[in-house]
Amino acid sequence: MSSDVKSRPATPMLREILEQPTLLGGIRSTPLPVRLGLAVFALGFLVVNVAIGVLVVSGRLDGHWYDFRDLGNATAALRSWLDDRDLGPWLSYWVTALIGGVGILSFVGGVLLIGTWVERRLLAKFQIRRGPNRVGPFGLLQPLADALKLIQKEVLIPIGADRKLFFLPPILIFIPAMLGWGPVPWAPNMAYLDVNVGLLYVVAISSLAVLAIFIAGWSSNNHYALLGAMRTVAMMVSYEIPVSLSLLSVVLFTGSLQLSEIVAWQSTHNTWLAMILPFSLFTFFFSSTAEINRTPNDIAEAESEIVAGFHTEYSGMKAGLFLAVELGNALLVGALVSTFFLGGYSLFGLEEWIPPYLILFAKISAVYFLFVWLRGTLPRFRLDQLMGYAWKFLIPLSIAFVGISAVEASIFARVDAPGLIVLGAIGIVNVVLTFVLVRAWARVVGYEVPRGEDTRPTLTTAVGGLRAAQRLRVTP
Amino acid sequence: MIPEEFGRVAALTAFALAFPALPLAASYLFYVLKIRPSNPDPIKSATYECGVEAEGSAWGRFNARYYLFALGFVIFDVEVIFLYPWAVVHQDLPLWALAKAALFIGILAFGLAYAWRRRALEWR
Repeated sequence: MSSDVKSRPATPMLREILEQPTLLGGIRSTPLPVRLGLAVFALGFLVVNVAIGVLVVSGRLDGHWYDFRDLGNATAALRSWLDDRDLGPWLSYWVTALIGGVGILSFVGGVLLIGTWVERRLLAKFQIRRGPNRVGPFGLLQPLADALKLIQKEVLIPIGADRKLFFLPPILIFIPAMLGWGPVPWAPNMAYLDVNVGLLYVVAISSLAVLAIFIAGWSSNNHYALLGAMRTVAMMVSYEIPVSLSLLSVVLFTGSLQLSEIVAWQSTHNTWLAMILPFSLFTFFFSSTAEINRTPNDIAEAESEIVAGFHTEYSGMKAGLFLAVELGNALLVGALVSTFFLGGYSLFGLEEWIPPYLILFAKISAVYFLFVWLRGTLPRFRLDQLMGYAWKFLIPLSIAFVGISAVEASIFARVDAPGLIVLGAIGIVNVVLTFVLVRAWARVVGYEVPRGEDTRPTLTTAVGGLRAAQRLRVTP
Repeated sequence: MIPEEFGRVAALTAFALAFPALPLAASYLFYVLKIRPSNPDPIKSATYECGVEAEGSAWGRFNARYYLFALGFVIFDVEVIFLYPWAVVHQDLPLWALAKAALFIGILAFGLAYAWRRRALEWR
C-alpha cells in the first residue's frame, strides 16, 4: 500500500454519497421536445409561485378553505357546510374523521413504498454498492415488485405453533405504528387528533408494540423466536423510562401535553427545544432506536445469533408486514423528534410561505436519513451492554436533567427579561452541563472509551474509503 | 359525555387494522385463485432452528432476570407518569413546590440506587 493512499480521509464524504453524476448527463441527453416541455413546466411553476406569493402577502388566503398552507381549513369548512345542511352532527364528525384517517393511511402507505427504496439505495451508497436499479427508473418500482413477490409466496405455519395467536401479530403491530401519527400536528389546524394529553397518548401508544411482538415470539413455539421476543420486551420496557423522563423536560418548559401547544411554544419563542435540551434530544432519539428495533439497538433481530428474532417463523406477506412496520416506526419517530425537539411544522417564520406540512416532512426525512446513516455505520450492541446503558447511564442522568430543567423552568418563568436571552443562557448552560455530566458519569460508571493505536479504524484508512473505491472502479 | 377524540381513535384503529389486512387478503385471494402455492408437508412446516431439530417445546421455563427488569419498569414508569401533572403546572407553582418535587424525584433516585446496590441491574 503506497503512502498517498494512506493519507486519504478515512470516512466517505457526505457530498460524494449524495452525488448523482448521472442526473445532469441525463438532462443533456434528453430529446428537444422533452426539454421544451420541461422548460414550459418550469416557467409555469415560477408563475404559479409568484401568484401564490402575491396572494400570501396580500392576506387574501388566510383562513379560507383554499388556503393550501393548512389543509385543516378545508376540512373545517366542509364540516361547517355539512352542519349547515342539518343532517345531524354525527355525519360531519365521521366524514372529517374518515378524511383524516384516509389521509394518514395513504401518507403512511406511500411513504412506506418510497422509504423502502430510499433506505436500500442509501445503504447501498454507504456500502459502495449500487442498490436496486433494475425495476423501473432508478429502481423506483422495486418496493412494488417486492410486495407482489411477497404476496404470492407460500405461507408456512409451523406445526407446533399456536395457530390463532400466530395469525394476530402482523395485524396488531400496525396499531401503534398508525395510532402514533394521530396527534402529530402538520399545520396549525391540521392535526387529526389534537388531544390535550397528546404526549401521554404517544408514550402510551408506543409501548403497545411490546404486546404484538411478544405474541409473535410466544405463538411461534420456536426457541429463537421466544428468545428474540424476550430480549425485545426487556429492551423496550427498559428504554421506555428514559423516553418518559426526557419528554418530562419538554413538558417542564412548554407547560403543556398538547403536541400543537409544544410546537406553538417553540414557534413563539423562536427556538428549538433541541437547543435548550440537548441531552433530552439524545436520550429520546437513542431510546427510540431501541423501541423500534433499529440499528444500533436491533438486538431483537440479530441475524448472527437468533436468526430473525421474533419473526423467524413468519413467511410471505406476514414477514413483509413486519419489515414494513419497522420502517413506518422509524418515520413516526422522525415525526415525534421533529415535533418535540426540532420545532415541528414551524421554521422561524418561514411556515407563512412554505406549507407547514412540507417543512415537517423535510424534518422527518432528515431524521430518517440519520436512522439510515446509523444503520449503515454502527455495529449492534450486546444485550447486557444495552440494558446497562439504559439503567445505569441514561436513567440516572435523565433524572438529574429533570431536576436541572425544573430549576431552569422556574427561573425562566420568573426572570423578567426577553425570553430569547434567558433561553439562550439556559441552552448554553445545558450544553456545558450535558458535556460535563456525561463525561463525569461515564468515568464513575466505567464506560470510558479505551484510547490507543488499536482503536483507530485501520481498514478504511488503509484501503482509502469511497474515493479509492471510485478510483478502482472499472469503466467499460 | 365521551370526548369527541375517542371516536377518531376508533376510526384510526379501524384504518390501522385495514392497512395490513389488505395485503393479507390479497395473499389469500391469490391462494383461492391458485396463484399462490400451498403444499404443506411435515418437514417444511417443522420449527426452523437453523436446520437442527428443535429440542422440545419452547413453551417452558425462562430465565428470571427478565422478570426483574419488568418489575423495575413497572415501578419506575408509573412514578415517572405521576410526575407529568406536576410538570404541566410547574411554572405556575410557588417555589416551595420545587422542593416537594425534588423529594419525589429523590425517592425515584433512591429506588434506583437501592436496586443498583442490590445488584438488580446486573445482567447475569
